[in-house]
Amino acid sequence: MDGISVRGVSQTFGTADDPRRVVALEDATLDIPAGELVCLIGPSGCGKSSLLDIIAGLAKPAAGSVTIDGEPVRGPLPKRVSFVFQENALFPWLSVDDNILTGLAFQGAPKAERRHRADEALSAVGLEAFRDHYPHQLSGGMKQRAQLARALSLQTEILLMDEPFAALDEQTRLVLGEDLSVLLARMRKTIVFVTHSLVEAVFLADRVAVFTARPGRIKTVLGIDEPHPRSPAFMTSAKLAGLRNTLYELLHDEVRRAMATEAAV
Amino acid sequence: MTLSRGLRQRLVQFACVAIVFGAWQIGSTTGALDPLILPPLSAIVVQLGAVLRAGTVWADLGVTLAELAIAFAFAVAIGLPAGFLVSRSRLAVRAFDPLIAGLYAVPTILLYPLYLLFFGIGPPSKIALGATMAVFPIVLSTIAGFTHVNAVRLAAARSMGASPVQLFGRVLVPEAFPVVIAGLRMGLVLGFLAILGGETLTSNVGLGHEIVTMAESLEPAKMFAYITVAIAAASALNALTSYVELRGRRHERA
Amino acid sequence: MTGRVAVIRLAAIALLAIAWEVLARRFANPLFVAPPSATLVAAFALLDDPDVVRALLAALQELAIAFVIAVAAGVVIAVPLGLSTFWRGAFLPLVLGLYAIPQVTVLPLFVRIFGLGPPTKIAFGVTHGVFAVILTVIAGMRTIDPILLRAATSLGATRRQLIFNVVLPSLVPSLFTGMRLAMSGVLLGVLLAELYVSTTGIGFFTQAFTNAFAPAKLFALILLLATIAIALNELARVAERRFSRWRT
Repeated sequence: MDGISVRGVSQTFGTADDPRRVVALEDATLDIPAGELVCLIGPSGCGKSSLLDIIAGLAKPAAGSVTIDGEPVRGPLPKRVSFVFQENALFPWLSVDDNILTGLAFQGAPKAERRHRADEALSAVGLEAFRDHYPHQLSGGMKQRAQLARALSLQTEILLMDEPFAALDEQTRLVLGEDLSVLLARMRKTIVFVTHSLVEAVFLADRVAVFTARPGRIKTVLGIDEPHPRSPAFMTSAKLAGLRNTLYELLHDEVRRAMATEAAV
Repeated sequence: MTLSRGLRQRLVQFACVAIVFGAWQIGSTTGALDPLILPPLSAIVVQLGAVLRAGTVWADLGVTLAELAIAFAFAVAIGLPAGFLVSRSRLAVRAFDPLIAGLYAVPTILLYPLYLLFFGIGPPSKIALGATMAVFPIVLSTIAGFTHVNAVRLAAARSMGASPVQLFGRVLVPEAFPVVIAGLRMGLVLGFLAILGGETLTSNVGLGHEIVTMAESLEPAKMFAYITVAIAAASALNALTSYVELRGRRHERA
Repeated sequence: MTGRVAVIRLAAIALLAIAWEVLARRFANPLFVAPPSATLVAAFALLDDPDVVRALLAALQELAIAFVIAVAAGVVIAVPLGLSTFWRGAFLPLVLGLYAIPQVTVLPLFVRIFGLGPPTKIAFGVTHGVFAVILTVIAGMRTIDPILLRAATSLGATRRQLIFNVVLPSLVPSLFTGMRLAMSGVLLGVLLAELYVSTTGIGFFTQAFTNAFAPAKLFALILLLATIAIALNELARVAERRFSRWRT
């Protein structure tokens, strides 16, 4: 099938005889068809970021497998998968423009295309005026937009995002979320998005996979039936509020359980 | 008229320097200061002019700087690769970093008699001393710089398909650069001081050696002039290396 | 985990010692190089030599005196400066300016002023150590938690009580850091001066052993001095840690 196929993936940290060994993820199985935006949400330590690393080929699972378009993932696939991190992923010694061009150099994109791709990406996120700025000169929201531009310039079919807005204040998050929805509606990408924010998950996703507390398993997958791009009206709608409440009920016990185990450690 | 605090502090500094120099000059003219030990300031200034015009001081300084250049080259050639290799293994870092730091605590000058024995009293013993002094901060800072590389940026580069060569050249090196260059700076400055020290203790050429020669001859003003040149050289070296370091880090927050 | 680290360190040292032994015995010119075995033997012989022991003890004495003077002078200079932002701002640049002078260039001058005996070595040690104390104590005074001062004042403490019950105790960790750095400085200064003066003391022996092409004795003397240096540095480090325990 086209898209991402996760089968029975488990992840552990620490060796078998280590008393502090942790099972982060247990037996995760999920299909993400091409073109869908799936959010992974769950309490801290439930393995959602680990799963993202495994899909990206940045980490090997303890058990299970991931296939992309039918082929098993054995390492990073820069031509198929791009990744947006929580923060600090821009190279501080390079300008925004050079950050993007360096990413293209890493990917091995044809030299003739790089300039054009970078320009396209910069205009997609609205940062053309800041292309020669350095990361330390940008606000948090702009830095994440720059990172997104870098990922978009790689023109991959799959985009993974690990809590990209976590370091930003809520108001910036909301606005960026709206912009992201508009942007992604234009492109036909498969997106897996990890977040802690209930509203963000409902607002952006086609489906939301809810994780249990550690060891993380996929408890439920909630469908969000709403056309893209998601409008600001959706943000204030009763439908969103209702879905958010459903998510809350699904998550609440898991979060409590996660906090209890953290205190016990 | 009330003066600002900064201005008042400047006046205090100026007054201190003026008092010291004034007392010095008065002491010389009244004969309270032994002119063979502490010659008049005016004589020193005159000698400084003469020495600079005569030109031999540049040759002496040149010898010292040449020794420094070679010593530094050795220290970098050994220190950078060694530091990088150690940084690749967490176990190696835990084992060797404290060991090297502990060794660093022993005054390097202690090795100088050994180098004099091996290499004689000429420049090679100075070069060996300078290299030994410089290699420690270089190794330690290289280890530190390459072990504290930001994991997120490394992951980002890997996810974008960076090859090992690209990871090294385009991510590791820029990440480590600020720390490594601080170590290089320290190595250069400390190396210079070590070489001056070696020349002072036992040598046949170089700035430090000339200072000693003049101390033993009856030309104290000339010695002070040479000391002034040495101080100026050290300051210039410090300023130059500081500039290079700041230029390399200009992308950072002010 | 610490077991593996210790093993690696010991292995590395052992490897170097063996390499030194082998290379010294088989390849090196015995006029210039001595193997560790010969060095150790010579070290014990030196310790039996009353002249050498006298020189070492003299150096230790100079170190001790220089250290005490450096610390005392450093504190006396630093505390008044630290208490007043104006005077600190005025004098600190002057102190830093003096600190920047490569002191080794004035060593011949010191000898001319103080002569060839212990006073020169002590003086040179003091000038090397005092700056560390001044700078760390001043820095320490800047970081005294103002909350502590306000709390004590609100409880009714007088200026004198503040100084003796809040400021000085807060300064102890910085003082010990300064002492550790002063120890390194004093070691360097005294050793430099000792090596320079080759008529007596350690400098005499290093030159004698070098001229006589007696590498084992030279290596041994250096080893003894290095051991003293390491021991003193360790002492200073441990003292610093012990007195900084409450510091976050």
